[in-house]
Amino acid sequence: MSVLHENHEMREASPRSLIAVVAIMIGSALAFTLATAPFTKLLGAGAGAVPAALHGMTAFLYLFVGTIGLYLGWRLLTGRIRAFADLQLLATVAATFSFLAICFGNWLYIYYRAPVPDSPRSYFVKNVPPVHKIFFEFKEFTGLFTLPLMVCAAFLLTKYGTQVLERPWLRYTIAALIGLAFFYLVVAFGLGAAVTKLKPA
Amino acid sequence: MNERRDVEVIGRPAREWVPGGVAAAALASAMFGMLTLAVVNLFTAAFAGFNAWVHWVGKLWMPGADGIGPYSGKETLALIAWLGSWAVLHLAFRKKDMKISRCLIVFLIGVGIATTLVWPPVFEHLAELIAGH
Repeated sequence: MSVLHENHEMREASPRSLIAVVAIMIGSALAFTLATAPFTKLLGAGAGAVPAALHGMTAFLYLFVGTIGLYLGWRLLTGRIRAFADLQLLATVAATFSFLAICFGNWLYIYYRAPVPDSPRSYFVKNVPPVHKIFFEFKEFTGLFTLPLMVCAAFLLTKYGTQVLERPWLRYTIAALIGLAFFYLVVAFGLGAAVTKLKPA
Repeated sequence: MNERRDVEVIGRPAREWVPGGVAAAALASAMFGMLTLAVVNLFTAAFAGFNAWVHWVGKLWMPGADGIGPYSGKETLALIAWLGSWAVLHLAFRKKDMKISRCLIVFLIGVGIATTLVWPPVFEHLAELIAGH
């Protein structure tokens, strides 16, 4: 047996090839699952199941990001922030999630208020009117408030940059914007989750 | 003893002092957007004709506006008020050094009014008064 042939067989697999194999295997499994899994059973049989899932997912991710942003906003308020770049990034991400949640919410709203007896709105108006007339109507608008608030916060953080740290009232303003946006987010999220529990779209 | 703070920032640091007017414009326009949403909603509850017109505004551009209803028009008018006023105010105030503390106080009052106006028991009662019922 030649020495060259032995050296060829003794070479180790490169990390790139190992990663590629794992990625291809996981990708194949995911593709197979997406192609064959009965997602309607998971999401529910309602016509609004897909927009509801997307709206809920973006709202949940926004809540996650918003909570971290709230903490950093508090650090900014008290003048003790260090991860300023993180706050700049999170404010932008939160504003984007707000926009996406609103877009998916608009889509979902079509199914919520569909003029059929089985739609959530029709159901609530007939059986539990305050759920629609007070809570959902309030959620509709407070959810929209998050967008201008977070866009304003992200804009100020980017435009002023480190000058924010030297100007107390600018710090207070940005912290107030983030705090208010978080409040409206929690209101909209909580009421939306409650509505889904009572009558899914 | 002076404590040196290492603060990481995204983007290059501003070389020039950014006047307070820039913040004032951003705050004021956000407040106008929110107030517009609240006031438009109030008047759609008061007048059916206005409600129909607002729905028509939404149908001009928003996909699915037929199914979304007048809400599409309310969003549209609020968006126009917010972004339109921001463009105008930014041009007007960008070189003015305004007191951010006063802007913040006015902003918070405006947001409080907008929030109160979108609370259904409040706007429905006001709508009845406006419509003369």
